[in-house]
Amino acid sequence: MTTATLLALLAIGVWTTAFVSWCRRRPWGEAGRRFFRHPSATGGLVVLVFLATVALCAPLVTPYAPYQQILTLQDQPPTWLHPLGTDFIGRDVWSRLAYGGRISLGVGTLGMLVAVTLGGLVGAAAGYFRGWIDALLMRCVDVGLSIPRIFLVLGAIALWGKLGVAALILLLGLTGWFATSRIVRSEVMSVRERPYTDAVRALGARPWWIIVRHVLPNSAAALIVSAALGIGNMMLLEAGLSFLGAGIQPPHPSWGNMIADGRDQLPTAPWTTLFPGLAIALAVMALNTTGDALRDALDPKTGGK
Amino acid sequence: MTPAFARPRRIATLLPALLVVLAGCRGPGGCTTEYCGTVVFAATGEPSTLLPVVSTSAVERDVHDQIFLKLAEIGPDGGTFGDSGFVPELARSWEWTDPLTLTFHLDPRARWHDGAPVTAADVAFTFDAYSDSVVGSGDRASLGHITSVAAVDSLTVVFKFRDRYPEMFYDATYHMRILPAHLLRNVPRATWQTAAFGRAPVGSGPYRFVSWTPGQSIELAADSTHFLGRPHLRRLIWRVAGNLNSAVTMVLAGEADAVEVLVTPDNIRRARADTALRLYPYAGSTYTFVRFNLRANGDRSKPHPVFADPEIRRALVLAADRPRMAQTVFGEYAKVPPGPMPQLWSWLWKTTLAPTPLDSAQAARLLHGRRLSFHLIVPSTSPTRVQYAQLLQEQYRRLGIDVVIDQVDNPTLQQQLESGKFDASLESFVTDPTPSSSVPALWGRDGPQNYGHYANDKFDALVRTAAGAPTRGAAQAAWESAFAALAQDPPGVMLYALDNVAAVNRRVADVRIQPDSWWGLVRTWRIPPDQLTERDRAGR
Amino acid sequence: MRAWLLRRVAAGIAIIFAAVSLTFVAIHLAPGEPFLPPDERPMDPAVVARLRRNYGLDRPLPVQYLRYVTQLAHGELGESFSQRRPVAQAIAAAVPNTLLLTITALAIDFTLGIAIGLYQAARARRRSDAALANVTLFFYSLPTFWLALVLQLVFGLWLGWFPTGGSTDPVLHDSLPLFGRVVDRLYHLALPALTLGLVGAGGTARFQRAALLEALGHEYVRTARAKGLAESAVLIRHAWRDALLPVISLAGVALPFLLTGAVLIETVFSWPGLGKLAADAISARDYPLVLGTTLLATCAVVTGSFIADVLTAAADPRVRLTA
Repeated sequence: MTTATLLALLAIGVWTTAFVSWCRRRPWGEAGRRFFRHPSATGGLVVLVFLATVALCAPLVTPYAPYQQILTLQDQPPTWLHPLGTDFIGRDVWSRLAYGGRISLGVGTLGMLVAVTLGGLVGAAAGYFRGWIDALLMRCVDVGLSIPRIFLVLGAIALWGKLGVAALILLLGLTGWFATSRIVRSEVMSVRERPYTDAVRALGARPWWIIVRHVLPNSAAALIVSAALGIGNMMLLEAGLSFLGAGIQPPHPSWGNMIADGRDQLPTAPWTTLFPGLAIALAVMALNTTGDALRDALDPKTGGK
Repeated sequence: MTPAFARPRRIATLLPALLVVLAGCRGPGGCTTEYCGTVVFAATGEPSTLLPVVSTSAVERDVHDQIFLKLAEIGPDGGTFGDSGFVPELARSWEWTDPLTLTFHLDPRARWHDGAPVTAADVAFTFDAYSDSVVGSGDRASLGHITSVAAVDSLTVVFKFRDRYPEMFYDATYHMRILPAHLLRNVPRATWQTAAFGRAPVGSGPYRFVSWTPGQSIELAADSTHFLGRPHLRRLIWRVAGNLNSAVTMVLAGEADAVEVLVTPDNIRRARADTALRLYPYAGSTYTFVRFNLRANGDRSKPHPVFADPEIRRALVLAADRPRMAQTVFGEYAKVPPGPMPQLWSWLWKTTLAPTPLDSAQAARLLHGRRLSFHLIVPSTSPTRVQYAQLLQEQYRRLGIDVVIDQVDNPTLQQQLESGKFDASLESFVTDPTPSSSVPALWGRDGPQNYGHYANDKFDALVRTAAGAPTRGAAQAAWESAFAALAQDPPGVMLYALDNVAAVNRRVADVRIQPDSWWGLVRTWRIPPDQLTERDRAGR
Repeated sequence: MRAWLLRRVAAGIAIIFAAVSLTFVAIHLAPGEPFLPPDERPMDPAVVARLRRNYGLDRPLPVQYLRYVTQLAHGELGESFSQRRPVAQAIAAAVPNTLLLTITALAIDFTLGIAIGLYQAARARRRSDAALANVTLFFYSLPTFWLALVLQLVFGLWLGWFPTGGSTDPVLHDSLPLFGRVVDRLYHLALPALTLGLVGAGGTARFQRAALLEALGHEYVRTARAKGLAESAVLIRHAWRDALLPVISLAGVALPFLLTGAVLIETVFSWPGLGKLAADAISARDYPLVLGTTLLATCAVVTGSFIADVLTAAADPRVRLTA
């Protein structure tokens, strides 16, 4: 840990505080007020912004490259030079953690984006068209929801062999949209019955146009909330896969494969496993509180709890 | 390292104590003599069959070594030349009738666990099975010098050889565990790999099979009337740990008594700090290497774009700081081998041959500024090899060589090797006590395990000379020149040869470990009566 | 009611069938050879080819699929490659272990979760509620296998209070009296069940608290309060009954969670249950065993959601069983 690193971290801290308090002051309207009324919303947002900034600015806050091996310093406990210790081949755990955040948060976010897009479209189509399209799509969703997810993903990984990051994101997305599509479907069904949808349809709009322009925005709240809560699940799944040796391949650090790498040193060098685990827990906690707060903010029915 | 982390604190716990009390409730435990004792082995994997002729893994060997016997076993000095040092097992004595004819006299006291006597017909049957291509034993090639094995009478069996060479006696005795003909004769040989016999074997060894709970444990019991002497330990239990780390954890947590290898300095340190354990160092029988595929990935008819070039292969050897890596991962418990050799061949290590030293400048010159890229396949189940792969990746990166590590599981790795769909692989190999069989098999032009299609006629010729050398001195010189030829045109990078350290609970006395077959001498281990615990006395 | 039942059962069977077919294709197309031994001494390729033939793996995939389906229709799950015994036997040996683990974990999950949720709802928005909310959220957000590793390290290795793995003591178990065997089981069960239970309880508590607070806002609760009932009586007798419904349906949904969570946990603690069986089967490319475990897991999920529906209906007369 050098002074430059420390200053950079400090700067990120200041930026986070400034950004979050700016968010609080912004007149986002009723929804914004409701969001920040949630007791942990501010805390969750601070953690998220901080983690995301650290991950994005990883080169600035890390004294070492994430794959740099200092072979004389394996499994060192935390010191001033290596604030979170070093791992089994002498890599700085803090540096790997910061870079690993890019992959873990990135895989979670992008995977969720794929899942939400797909789930949104399928749900919208099923809910809007009803009839046999709905029946077919929803039976597929039933099958998808019935196979335990980890079986599904492990099977797919066995099918394709080792995966690149992009493929992994796609895979997580493709196996993660089932629940979202159900939520969106029921939202769409209720929106579809509202008078203004009929009005638009009477004006001669095409079904897809209606879905994209009118139906989806009205179910956006449900989508956003399910996305925020889903990123955490994606991250946990990625970690589980990496733990089984099927996730992100070395030397790229992800929080999951850091836990897997450190597992054998757990009794002698627990820091290599503890810190990435805590990082996941922290990030998922923050995502969950933010998701909760978002739900309160966007859905007046359950608001104010 | 903080000591608090390093050492497991074994607080005398309430529940185990309670269990012991409960066990004791049934009255005083029966066994208190010299012949009590239960040893629990932590197994790093699970056997798939205990029929020796078709078994392939070290875990399987650990167990069936107790159940089956050979005609004679290699002695403590590990010599494979002539019959000096060999210890009688099923054969009480032997003599050379002529230079190509070897006669064994079986011990008349030997019995199968079902009570039938062990006869010369069993030996003839065993040879027939081991050399049958339908059975597909891994040792078939080693038996190629033997033309016939015939029973003269029920206790006399004659081996006839095709030619004379120094390791005739070794080949006649070392590879074959004698099988019961009366139980296997009617089992179709094509189904031996999956035969029920392999899940409930009957042998003639000091321990008989009791039970096997898949995924959990295998239990054996001592044959108290065994002709080689009654084994001191009454029960042997293998607990399936699944991988090395869980096995070591089991032993450190006091849930198992013995583990054959500790591998990492971390494990060795922790085991040494544990007052309940005693460590037993012995020569390792494996070596680990990167194998280059000289043919194109997935197309055997074309040369590999990177590894077909001997200069590049040499550069890759020169660019690897092998002593540093071995030091990093294994501390003092591994050596960099000058050739494809484990520490088990200790006589070969007394050599002038040295591993190619690190020379990045020379490596860079040989590369002529070419930027290379290749995939390295590593078994995801081996943390040390994954670690090594990352060390190599980083060292090569500095020279502009891009190594992509593909962690694959074992079935995939084996399939990729067999089908030639790989660039380079990080493998370990478990050897026999002699180089004569595995060196040509792995690196010889037509070797069955020469997955990289390496071909070096000079090396092959030198290997043939070495395998036929009449004395150990001559053999050593010949192997040295063979390995020197190999180093000139390397088929891969020889990374490390392990020193093994076993950890066994302190209450077990007379522990001896056989380097080539770890638990081969368990029948001589014992637990002194004053050291017996409730666990030893409990049970059947 | 009967029509609903029939339709549910038919849909369930169709789902299971689709899931098994999907797994069949995936596992057979996966790289890796079931009959190549792990990296030590390789097997003669001719022998491998013969083994493949013996098990019919040399046939075209559609033929193999038809054979498997026919077999399944006769109630046959086939023979496991790696365990050399019928798949049904391997599964039958694992099911009691998994059930023991999941049911114990569910019990911990729901007792702890509901208790914490009740407590939090009773002191809503006070400091203890906020503190507990953070604790439950923390457990809810943890990677389960990480918690397993930490508990194993602390209570298994450092403190030595509990065994680090396995389901029974390999030496003593068989010679113990009945009571001793039960104690031995529980002793080995403690850490894996606690891991699953704690993570689950985090979610359940959050759910229970939210459901209770919603119920507390209802008209009839306010009426009860107005009648002068004690706050605890209002909470338990009125609000809780209402708030139990969503939690019950959570139990049905929790079943797949406990099964998938169990893959990693059983692996960490070498617990000989279905999850470990499935993971081992996948890594050994033991096709029949992979299919057998998937079949069972899918059945469990389908049955779980079915039971949840029935339970919800039983607890709430307003819900009518019409699909």
